[in-house]
Amino acid sequence: MRKAVVIVFILISSIGFSQNYKFGKVSKEELMEKSYAEDPEADAVVLYKKETIAYEYKSGDGFRQVREVQERIKIYNKEGFGWATKKVRLYDRSSSKSEDFLNLSAYTYTLEDGKVKKTKIKKESIFEEKNNKYWATKTFTMPNVKEGCVIEFRYRIESPYIQIDDIDLQYTIPIKKLDINVKIPEFFVFNKLQNPKAIYFPKIEDTQVNRKETLVSKSRTSGGMGKINSNRDYSDWEFKEFKTVVDETNVPALKEESFVKELDIYRAKLVWEYAAYNGPNREIKNYSTSWEQVSKTINESESFGGQLGKTKYFESDVNALLDGVDDPIKKVALIYDFVRSKIKWNKYVGYRVNDGVKKAYKDRVGNVAEINLMLVAMLRHAGLNASPVLLSTRSNGIPLFPTTSGFNYVIAAIEVPNDIVLLDGVNTYGAPNILLEKTINWQGRIVRKQGTSAWIDLTPKKKSKTISFMNVNIADDLSISGKIKKHLTDYLALNYRERYHDSKTETIVSNYEKDKGNIEITNLDVKNKKELSKPINYTYDFKLDNAIEEIGDKLYISPLLFLASEENPFKQETRIYPIDFIYPTYSKYAVYLKIPEGYVVESLPKNTKVQFNGTEGEFSYIIREQGETIQVSVITDLNKTLILPEEYLEFKKFFEMSHEKQAEKIVLKKQ
Amino acid sequence: MQIKTSLSIAFTLIFLTTYSQEKLLALTIDDDLKENANAVVRLYDNLIEVKAHNRLLHRSKRIVTVLSEAGNSDIGAVVHYDNNINIRKLEAVIYNAFGKEIKKVKKKEFEDVSAVSGGTLYSDSRIKYLNHTPINYPYTVVLEKEIEYKSTAFVPGWRPIEGFYVSTENASYKIINTSGVDLKVKTTNFENYGIEEIGEFDYLAKNLKAIKGEAYAPAFKTYAPFLRVALTKFVMEGVDGVNTNWTDFGKWMNDKLVSDTQELPQAVKDEVKFLTKNETTDMEKAKLIYKYMQDKTRYISVQVGIGGWKPMLASDVDRLGYGDCKALTNYTKALLDEVNVESYYTVIYGDDNLRNIDKEFSATEGNHVILAIPNEEDYVWLECTSQTSPFGYNANFTDDRDALVITPEGGKIIHTKVYETKGNLQTTNAKVNLDENGSISAQVQIASEGTQYDHYNRIEDEDEKGKSLYYKEYFDNINNLEVLAIALDNNKEDIIFTEKVDVAASKYASKVGGRILFAPNMFNKKTYAPPRYKNRKMAFEVDRGYTDVDEYEITLPETLEIEALMKPVSIKNEFGEYSVSIEKKSDNLLVYKRTLIMNKGQYKKEDYSGFRDFHLKIVKHDKSKIALKRIN
Repeated sequence: MRKAVVIVFILISSIGFSQNYKFGKVSKEELMEKSYAEDPEADAVVLYKKETIAYEYKSGDGFRQVREVQERIKIYNKEGFGWATKKVRLYDRSSSKSEDFLNLSAYTYTLEDGKVKKTKIKKESIFEEKNNKYWATKTFTMPNVKEGCVIEFRYRIESPYIQIDDIDLQYTIPIKKLDINVKIPEFFVFNKLQNPKAIYFPKIEDTQVNRKETLVSKSRTSGGMGKINSNRDYSDWEFKEFKTVVDETNVPALKEESFVKELDIYRAKLVWEYAAYNGPNREIKNYSTSWEQVSKTINESESFGGQLGKTKYFESDVNALLDGVDDPIKKVALIYDFVRSKIKWNKYVGYRVNDGVKKAYKDRVGNVAEINLMLVAMLRHAGLNASPVLLSTRSNGIPLFPTTSGFNYVIAAIEVPNDIVLLDGVNTYGAPNILLEKTINWQGRIVRKQGTSAWIDLTPKKKSKTISFMNVNIADDLSISGKIKKHLTDYLALNYRERYHDSKTETIVSNYEKDKGNIEITNLDVKNKKELSKPINYTYDFKLDNAIEEIGDKLYISPLLFLASEENPFKQETRIYPIDFIYPTYSKYAVYLKIPEGYVVESLPKNTKVQFNGTEGEFSYIIREQGETIQVSVITDLNKTLILPEEYLEFKKFFEMSHEKQAEKIVLKKQ
Repeated sequence: MQIKTSLSIAFTLIFLTTYSQEKLLALTIDDDLKENANAVVRLYDNLIEVKAHNRLLHRSKRIVTVLSEAGNSDIGAVVHYDNNINIRKLEAVIYNAFGKEIKKVKKKEFEDVSAVSGGTLYSDSRIKYLNHTPINYPYTVVLEKEIEYKSTAFVPGWRPIEGFYVSTENASYKIINTSGVDLKVKTTNFENYGIEEIGEFDYLAKNLKAIKGEAYAPAFKTYAPFLRVALTKFVMEGVDGVNTNWTDFGKWMNDKLVSDTQELPQAVKDEVKFLTKNETTDMEKAKLIYKYMQDKTRYISVQVGIGGWKPMLASDVDRLGYGDCKALTNYTKALLDEVNVESYYTVIYGDDNLRNIDKEFSATEGNHVILAIPNEEDYVWLECTSQTSPFGYNANFTDDRDALVITPEGGKIIHTKVYETKGNLQTTNAKVNLDENGSISAQVQIASEGTQYDHYNRIEDEDEKGKSLYYKEYFDNINNLEVLAIALDNNKEDIIFTEKVDVAASKYASKVGGRILFAPNMFNKKTYAPPRYKNRKMAFEVDRGYTDVDEYEITLPETLEIEALMKPVSIKNEFGEYSVSIEKKSDNLLVYKRTLIMNKGQYKKEDYSGFRDFHLKIVKHDKSKIALKRIN
């Protein structure tokens, strides 16, 4: 029996070569390796990564989190040299609240004249940088790094905090062997989950093990005759530990892709939430057990719920603002604008206040919580059914399990029968229900006055529209003059305002003229730049040369001129990650082109309608000749906001067809 | 790649006068000063006290009114510091538009962060900055600073106009020198802005309008006023120096910063001697040494104390296998010395813009170091921070500019290699098959030289998918492009990068009313033209010229015949040359030829519209199509 196992083991390992992952046991074979079989294009590969997390116990001090990391990395070529530098971020405040970086040991292995050479890192290559009040960075860079080398390092981080940071299970290079081992004393109850957005999921094993600590206590006893004896008492303390193990081979690299703003949201990782303390003496403290509980905990805290009850500081101002106003819609508009003009955002995110609403109101500067909790309080004061909505921004990930740290942002909501209106006082150029893109992340948790809570969907349902009218005249010299009228709603209006709020007309014109050939734009008139609840409307006149091609005795014109998007932005053949448009859109171009004198239509592009996934996307192109004008109507209607990788090819085709169509030409011939 | 730049950035400034409360009122600003301005420097008084060759004090009072969001950074409430820079006083008071105080910010309330950035791994310089959220615009900030320098290699200079979109109402700059050390001062463009010298080392500027940026404009420093100052005896991070001219400053650098750092281990000496034993010429030896250095090292930047200026020991570079521009250059020099090839450590501004070391004014300058090897009457310039650059290739970063070459006899200003228009050549050849549906398949070959060679490093490192995407972007005028095969050849010896790419695209040519419209310029279509200005204010220049030559052989299917070809075009003017033609070689073979030469040059603002027009014409002709008809 035993023999068989050994034989099988040898057979398997001889396919590669036997590998010893013990620190320092870098082999010649590893140094000679020219590429990684599983991913031959990899510039470097993590041959071995080991990470253990445990809680060490010290009599008198209690538990301290210890994180030990060991990595062995093979660097194949120069592009992989970046992996020879490691940065470790450490929480750094007062000494009792800081993480300690300890016991760094690191070597570079190279093959020189057929022999393995080992170069040790020295102090000169290790740096500590104090980034700001809260963080420090330990950086080290390996000596004697060459193509083909293997580097190996290990270090230890001791932390006074119980909470476990996310454990990355994937790098942007492959990991050949991944070994994660977490042991948590039964007193610390954690929830854990793998990132659901990842595309790679390693196997996780959970078990329970026993642990024994020896407790030392000092006691004094009277030894009789006035003599005091000092004794050390030793006692065993047994408890259980939860053990989590990841033991994987060939973890694929996390690859970058276009249209992905933050690659990290797709990284395989283990996310931990410290849910409860279940102490040896039966004291129990719940941090997060259910979403209801989390919402309640947050609501009952002074830095959140406590802020909602305060009204005195704004009462007289808000009463004056609302004097004589009965219409609730008007009240909302007045309060929303009042908050935004009064309090400016200091760029700090969070659902807890920092200085508190009162101080923020006085200083006219606040963080997200101060601004939006104040907004809720004012709306309630005005008799509206307003509540805060907790959410997690896109970069913070989606709220996975009941956790107070799953949220990092708060907005305001007003509930009316069958509807809900969302407001964000930080969104300077937004309108009701128009949120900042980063805050549109699946769902938020509304926390009502009574303390109850519920999920609400944050995904925009309403289409953001762009509607363009264009009149085109062709002169005898084939130059074009025309007029454009554009209408932008919702998110498209928000984007416009964000981009151009501070711009002079001249700058906007110059931007419009970019990449449109020999164009001159005049008489730009933008309406509703400041009336945030209304669409942006703008008009301008233009003169355009060289837009008509004269080939032989015929004229060729793309009727959409520069409005057409001729280049398909989707160039990849396949996709790994989804494409997220965030909100549905509708665009319509209506063009009226006057046929120049002396010419008649020889041919027009055909009318077309193309669909994607039924009606999830629809493109239509309608053109007709009517007296002396040609009328074109081009509509792109996109209901679907999240394009999954499996839908990508069809979606790409849909785009291809619509782009080809927009480039098609009208042919005019001499009469 | 940088040398420590914190101090040159802290080109900040000083004071004296009492100011009237009027400066706190945003409303009193003259309309002229508001034009094109995001912020107005209401007052900026700078007083530099040179107490000794190793001690100077910079006191300043600054009042800035910010008119719009884009002007927030103009308040200038940022101070770089390190062990030799002591911030003695730093205080800001913020006022609203009506001059009412909003808040006071003390030194300890400034944010304190490390200044490690960009490609630097570690440096000891730090920043204190004011973290302020403006409530309304305009607002005004009064900033008072007192900064003491123990390192005097940089003396804070003066920029009466601080940059684009900021105007200056009142600014002054004065030096009081009680050190006994001679000062050198150079003012540039002061006369064009009416900046007065009101006493010895004492200047006053008033009502300087904001300058708007324009495309292709010369560098800001060539027309804006600025003042530079240097001590003839100084201390750099604890090292005494002299600077009366480039010769002695360069000599000092050589003796104090460079020459004692070049000792190499015996094994390395032996190794490089052995490596080059068969070579007879200096250039052949240097090539081998350069490759040796490239294979052995990587770029890592660590800047601490004098290490911001003095290279790491060559023996340390050898042992650690890394270093910054100074270290790697100096290491290469040490290796070359060993095989008796002369070379010089060279201080330069590395930038894609052409930026000179000032020939006439010696001072601590530059942000980068390269190596110069004398070669007959000329020099070969080595970029030692790149592991892939060909020997002697320095286009687009250190080319065509004055550099400080450090020789044992002293510093010399020498102009680096100029990459000429005709040598910056890209040749694109293609064999194209068009089918009757308008689809194309083609074998394209692009050979790039001179400045155009440089793009090799954007492609070479990509994986297969990335390369394919690169060509889809590069030929972005072709929708539905498929990349079938890619073969790259990087000839570092002759410095030519050749890309062979097989592509195909369905429906490239469009069917229009029974004919096929085909744009023969498939693989090098220019779409960019310079922006239009109603009133061009500034002269303009093209830093580097280039030449593109394209030739495509297009085979037509038997079923199509030519209905109309485009007429040949030939344009030649001071900006360059452009010609295209299409020739029918046989019934089904067309040859498309295109040449574009863009000249290097400096031009008057009046010529800008002609320049733009030249580009627009190219854009237009590059889009030209021919009409093909089905043979019935």
